[in-house]
Amino acid sequence: MQKIDKKYKYLNISKSVLIHILMYSLAILTIMPFIWMILTSVKDMSEIFVYPPQWLPNEIKFQNYIDAFNAAPFGTFYMNSLIVALSVTLGQLITCSMAAYAFARLEFKGRDIIFYIFLGTMMIPANVTMIPTYIVLSTFGLIDSLYSLIIPGLASAFGTFLLRQFFMTIPKELEEAAYIDGASKWQVLLRVIIPLSKPALATLAIFTFMGVFNDFIWALICINSEELKTVQLGLATFRDKYLTQWDLLMAGSVTATLPILIIFFVAQKYFIQGITLSGLKE
Amino acid sequence: MKNKIISIFIITIIALTVISCSKSENNSDGKVVVTFWHGMMASSVPALEQLIQKFEETHPGIKINAQTIPNGDAGIQKLMTSLQSGTAPDVSWIYSDYMEDLVTSNSIYKMRQFIDGKNGLTKEDLADIYPSLITYASWRGELYSIPMEATNLALLYNKDLFRQAGLDPNHPPKDWDELLDFSRKLTIDKNNDGKFEQVGFFIPVFPATGSRNGWMVWQYRPFLWQAGGDFIEKDQSKVTYDSEAGIKALTLWQKLFQEQKLETFTSDFDMAFISKQLAMAMDGPWSLPRYKDLMKGIDWAFAPLPAGPAKQATIVGGEYLCIFKQSEHPDEAWEFVKWIASPEAQAQWCMTSGYLPIRRSVKEIPAFKKYLEENANYKVFVDQMDVGQAELSIDYGAMQITQHIGEAIEGVTIGKRDVRTSLNNSAKKSNDLLIRARK
Amino acid sequence: MAIYKKNKDGLAAAGFLTPTLIIFGTFILFPVFFSFYLSFQEWNAFSWEGSFVGLDNYTRMIQTKEFWDVLKNTLIYTIGTVPLNMIVSLMIAYGLNQKLKGKKFLRTLFFAPVVVSPVAAALIWRWLYDPNFGLINYSLGFAGIDPINWLNDPSAAMFALIGMGVWKTFGTNMVLFAAGLNAIPDSYYEAATIDGAGAWSKFWNITIPLLSPTTFFIMVMSMIGSFQVFDIVYVLTSGGPLGSTKVLVFYIYEYAFKFTGEMGYASAVSYTLFALLFILTMVQVKYMKNKALA
Repeated sequence: MQKIDKKYKYLNISKSVLIHILMYSLAILTIMPFIWMILTSVKDMSEIFVYPPQWLPNEIKFQNYIDAFNAAPFGTFYMNSLIVALSVTLGQLITCSMAAYAFARLEFKGRDIIFYIFLGTMMIPANVTMIPTYIVLSTFGLIDSLYSLIIPGLASAFGTFLLRQFFMTIPKELEEAAYIDGASKWQVLLRVIIPLSKPALATLAIFTFMGVFNDFIWALICINSEELKTVQLGLATFRDKYLTQWDLLMAGSVTATLPILIIFFVAQKYFIQGITLSGLKE
Repeated sequence: MKNKIISIFIITIIALTVISCSKSENNSDGKVVVTFWHGMMASSVPALEQLIQKFEETHPGIKINAQTIPNGDAGIQKLMTSLQSGTAPDVSWIYSDYMEDLVTSNSIYKMRQFIDGKNGLTKEDLADIYPSLITYASWRGELYSIPMEATNLALLYNKDLFRQAGLDPNHPPKDWDELLDFSRKLTIDKNNDGKFEQVGFFIPVFPATGSRNGWMVWQYRPFLWQAGGDFIEKDQSKVTYDSEAGIKALTLWQKLFQEQKLETFTSDFDMAFISKQLAMAMDGPWSLPRYKDLMKGIDWAFAPLPAGPAKQATIVGGEYLCIFKQSEHPDEAWEFVKWIASPEAQAQWCMTSGYLPIRRSVKEIPAFKKYLEENANYKVFVDQMDVGQAELSIDYGAMQITQHIGEAIEGVTIGKRDVRTSLNNSAKKSNDLLIRARK
Repeated sequence: MAIYKKNKDGLAAAGFLTPTLIIFGTFILFPVFFSFYLSFQEWNAFSWEGSFVGLDNYTRMIQTKEFWDVLKNTLIYTIGTVPLNMIVSLMIAYGLNQKLKGKKFLRTLFFAPVVVSPVAAALIWRWLYDPNFGLINYSLGFAGIDPINWLNDPSAAMFALIGMGVWKTFGTNMVLFAAGLNAIPDSYYEAATIDGAGAWSKFWNITIPLLSPTTFFIMVMSMIGSFQVFDIVYVLTSGGPLGSTKVLVFYIYEYAFKFTGEMGYASAVSYTLFALLFILTMVQVKYMKNKALA
């Protein structure tokens, strides 16, 4: 009996070691492009175009970063991106939870039809709506301001859908208790539903933040002024200006990438919790 | 406590948003602000800043607000959308491909309006500007823009590699035969693995659907002219790039591409040139400032483009300034445009940026004369202006026709297709488009 | 229990929905209807006027060979990406569900590509794919594979695009799968262990069936996503070489924003894409329902 146990234990350990090796090598493979990017960003031009590829720089050249920062105001780009991404995220959390609550809990005429129209619009390619959206914004004189990046994002079919699915899993009894205490619908949403939905809200927040932060095409169309450019737009202009100066380009890319990775690393706890949504299964 | 932090956080976001969402209005001290869009490479921006500073010193009432916009596709997209929304600049850089859209939508002024005005230009002024530039800056014979600078294409080559291949470093290829011959001598497979470690002459082939298609077709144009052909009938009734001359030119490109296995180049040529893997390529004067630093340790020079079976030719390009009807200060905008076209401003601008002057008389200015003597490579470009040809702007569907030409180039090089069939297919598409546009 | 009246919360609902409906109506519904109208017009985006052309744009589309090429490319991309993406993300999610040290750290690494902007990602991938200096050909060289000209060979470029596409998006699906896996009660596995089931048998008989709602959701979303792929095409291959990676949305982009006077045609293609996606999703939903009933 004991012998078998030992054998199992031995098997388990080797299996566990195997899984560790496998998963870690896959992970390294996944981030290989980043490693390469970071290593290249501190190389001298002469070390970049060589065959076979040279992994480590002979000498770490931080000058590339100084040059990249001198060449483009990455600080301003970051500020703009953060303002836009945070505003849209905050706005969506508010509008989506309100709308989701209505769809999940309220009884009103046309509820299902409106909801299905919402879902249907998720299938419409963004290119279809671009020009008319632009026209609307320009009639309000909002082009070339960060508002043009914020306002169209203040509502979301995806977000409403996600939260509705989650809200529906919350037991109704909890709300009924609040109603007996004389709470209004708004109070129920604020005091009962929202606190119970933190994981779902965190999920939506992170999805939205990343999506907006990485958006490129829309910012390209709407923003003209140098001081209003977002990180993605800034990086693209930077690329056009420095065509093949890979040392600077890589330093710029790292500058545009690393902070968002760090934010993600810090926030991922909430994210992973949040994604565990039974609501997704319906 | 936690809630408090969250509310402070939210308030901060809102405050930041309100403060910084709109463009900060530059404090202009009662000056007239003229917004100017350009797509200058980073290496030319300091020269532009100097130029603007000079203008503002001599014109205390005007302030120039220069903004960088992207080149190519993204640039025209920006102009289009800004016009629709009434946020167009006062003055902008444009290319001939944009002209059709801008003129037909009644977005830009005819230059005649300013030239004939009180603060205008004389006949002599206009005659001083290279005629090819005037053609390029016009649309259907009407001048809609004023050139800001000229450029053209010349042959960049590495003298050391010429020496190593037993060629005379002071005898760059004079015609197509020499070009082909030298390319073969300069294309070397050092270790016999079927891969060339060194390539003779680079021709640019990019996806016809991509943003660098225009750049590829632009470099192809001189070859068509050198063979005696052109792109479109003068009356714009049909395209002519599939003529016998077109077949000659594209066959040369196909030969060069295939013999040298250029499909392994997925980006532009400069890195290969700098790492001494490439002996010859085409490039413009805008690269001169950055090559000073980039090409350390290389004995490089520019030479005129080789002549073709019909003649010597290069393409003249440049950026052109147009004034938008949406501008609230067209007169001040014109003042800026006119000043840039003056010989003095041209001399300063060209010597600092590496661009070429738009008018002949700049060569008479002593400082510029001296500059030419000291910069032999730059002089190659200035001298080439006399054989420079401008593309005729296409009235209908310029972007699509350029893409059709690109498809033919891509097809015979990367796609190894037959030259005549590819050109015919593309020309048919272009002609169908012209017929549809005419309806 | 209150008696349900059909519209009893109408007023409250109006309050809750107003902000969403305003934004939605202005920036989604209006544009959608407007471009539907555009698809029957020949439209000049500059002068902002058009003329009614009936179904011309649609008939022209059907008669254009390029449209069918582009549709084919989109299908190839979807078929190449979706299954591969799902297999990779499920495997990694399954791996992460085992006892592992540094699980959170690993998860972050796997998710990292999703977080990175397409612009920066394409910069680095263009280089990884470089036939002369790229790491990918260099690594393949060890396996004795001849250099592949990833971005300039029409038969290879689609694979290059699919490779980057899977890399860029599998993280999202991995997280969703992880959530699905977490939700499967341990008791099922314990029961199976007692019955003497092996790891594979557990995977096939417990994990896969119980995961199917998640799998379905992921499949639908990935399919919609890959039919609408644009960003990575724009930054990695620009639709080339020889149009071999030109996909539907890229085609729409060309006609809407690059070529003059083609907004109407672009809208017609957009609506066709929309209809395709709609039918595809409906078929899947139907299939899923039938399966659930059986």
